[in-house]
Amino acid sequence: MLGNQPTLTLYFLPLLQRFWPGFVPDQYRARLQAKQWQTADMLQLTLQVSPRWQGFVPGQHLLLTIEHNGRYISRPFSICSPLSLWQSQQHIQLCCKINRKAEFTPLLNQLQNGAVLNISAAQGGFYWLQPAVPTVFVAAGSGITPIASMLLSQRHWLAPATLFYRVRGAENAALLAELKQLAQRQPLFTLMLSDSRIAPAETLQQQLCADISNKQFYLCGPQAFMQQLRNTLSQHGVTAELIKQEQFGLAPPPASCSTTDPLLSANFIRAGFITAVTLNSQHSLLQSAEQYNLAPRFGCRMGVCFQCVCDKVSGQVRDMRSGALSGHGAEQIQLCISQPVTELVIKL
Amino acid sequence: MKLSTEQFNALEHELDSVKQQVQQQLGEADARYIRRVLLVQRISALSGRVLMVLGFITPWLWLAGVLLLALAKILDNMEIGHNVLHGQYDWMNDPVLHSKRYEWDIACDAGSWQRTHNFEHHTYTNIIGKDRDFGYGLLRLSNDFRWRLRNLWQGGTYLLLSMLFQWGVSYHELAAQRVFFGKKKADRHTQVSDSELKKAFFGKGARQLVKDYIFFPLIAGPMWLWVLCGNLLANLLRNLWTSTVIFCGHFTKEVHVFTAVECEGESRGQWYYRQMLGSSNFTGPTWLHILTGHLSCQIEHHLYPDIPARHYPAMAGQVQAIAAKYGIPYNTGSFVRQYSTVFGRIMRYSLPGGDKAVKAL
Repeated sequence: MLGNQPTLTLYFLPLLQRFWPGFVPDQYRARLQAKQWQTADMLQLTLQVSPRWQGFVPGQHLLLTIEHNGRYISRPFSICSPLSLWQSQQHIQLCCKINRKAEFTPLLNQLQNGAVLNISAAQGGFYWLQPAVPTVFVAAGSGITPIASMLLSQRHWLAPATLFYRVRGAENAALLAELKQLAQRQPLFTLMLSDSRIAPAETLQQQLCADISNKQFYLCGPQAFMQQLRNTLSQHGVTAELIKQEQFGLAPPPASCSTTDPLLSANFIRAGFITAVTLNSQHSLLQSAEQYNLAPRFGCRMGVCFQCVCDKVSGQVRDMRSGALSGHGAEQIQLCISQPVTELVIKL
Repeated sequence: MKLSTEQFNALEHELDSVKQQVQQQLGEADARYIRRVLLVQRISALSGRVLMVLGFITPWLWLAGVLLLALAKILDNMEIGHNVLHGQYDWMNDPVLHSKRYEWDIACDAGSWQRTHNFEHHTYTNIIGKDRDFGYGLLRLSNDFRWRLRNLWQGGTYLLLSMLFQWGVSYHELAAQRVFFGKKKADRHTQVSDSELKKAFFGKGARQLVKDYIFFPLIAGPMWLWVLCGNLLANLLRNLWTSTVIFCGHFTKEVHVFTAVECEGESRGQWYYRQMLGSSNFTGPTWLHILTGHLSCQIEHHLYPDIPARHYPAMAGQVQAIAAKYGIPYNTGSFVRQYSTVFGRIMRYSLPGGDKAVKAL
């Protein structure tokens, strides 16, 4: 009440930021300790996290926020390091795929050691629930990060686990050295490298389905890849609850492909309820939301009054006025002048 | 409308390109600027409140405190609040400076302001019957309104409105919706129920009253009366200043008004045209621009309400050149000159009769 802001911290933020440059409320500080290229395009960041940070369950991800050109931008990244590294030294590691044309990830490469970043609390429900049940992990490309953390964190091995790691050549396999070491050390763990340049996807599917009895499956990779695996597994009688998958952090389909597709699916979240909708990529999000009777707040319908601003959780939109494309991560958009470019999740 | 369709399209194109040039530059410098204004605002608010209590040493400290608090409220309302609520800084993705989250140090609830000001006033600028900011339903400022007896003393009404400006702004939407008085208008649609409007009005109003007239006097102990009076004075100064600035934006002598019929189905170019004719600027040094929240560049603000306001003075030159090219009047002058025409307009239309009768006087 006194500062007219939701909290007094927000009221005092301009003063606090004078003393602690880069301070962001509700986030935790993390200092960059080291940068290391895992592959040609995967950069591994080692961060010393604030003692206030509450820790993570292996497999979870966090939002990394940096300030660039006056803007706060954030992207989700899975933690790829074992739990023990955080417990012993308060270090965590992130493996970030650097897309040189994108807005965010090239900035990570420019960071100097000692730079202070902001991270969110760990989040997400992708973790190894029952290590006592034989498990098959399938990772493709950067999908290895949460799975590597699960495997490297495991202390007491109770049942066999196999990792099918699909990459374009061993030189593009991030975290391979650590996983190979684990396979040597731990007899219950088997590492199967599947080179997509040599082995077709069918071979991997056959290997996967050779013995599926009493096993649980953890999948992480590009969406199309996981969908295919899921279909194959369910054809072989694996029930849905035995398959866990993580979808975030994938390279979304390039904008040029999806614009030709006039219909896109989206989830609108309103007051906690999720409505799955099909969007026409030629309509504004406001029009589409209204077609589904979601009645978002609106005003001028021309991008002037900012009454229809809402949170985009993921996906990309186009500004109908300028044609500018948004980022893929969480940010706020004006519904009345935004058209969908990819699949979207939006909080109304 | 005097221009041809092609001219309107060309006007739209030219004004859009002025906007694009600025949009491409937005970045670090804008973020640094608005954070610095925010820092100055916080420091003047805090030091103002402390100095008022120190008034027991010498009343001059109290006076300095009052002026600092008034400055803090003016900066918060004008350069920060008004502009942030327009979404000028949404691109920063900042936890404080966002149109959806910001709440300001004034009796009016931010959401209500966005509906009446950002939407109604900025979309239907100076359209009689649609833009209720034209005279605020209290003052007769053109012949489009029938003269009533109460217009005779509208000079006094204006003075009262200015002194209580924050409450006028806060009550604006409830008056339009006839929440307490009058018959509901059939053509008014709203997304917010009367009970929500009342809740926002009383909730925000009460919080402001408690803060300035109960909480801070109470913690001042024996200096409570000084603090209470100081807060009252700071609010009054802010009210007079904001009202004066805002009246200079749309009620100067040369400003045009429009009918709903002539604006039906208008193009973006025609909308730009109406914004230019319906607004007026005034000139002055940089500090004056900042204290007005750059509403001294009301024309640029109405053309580009979502561009960070610090760019308006630089854009004004380009806009004025475009206006000259298309023969569109560009209404600007010194602060004193513009304000005197506002006052003239209020007094002129307090008397009955059309333009002829007024001229005859």
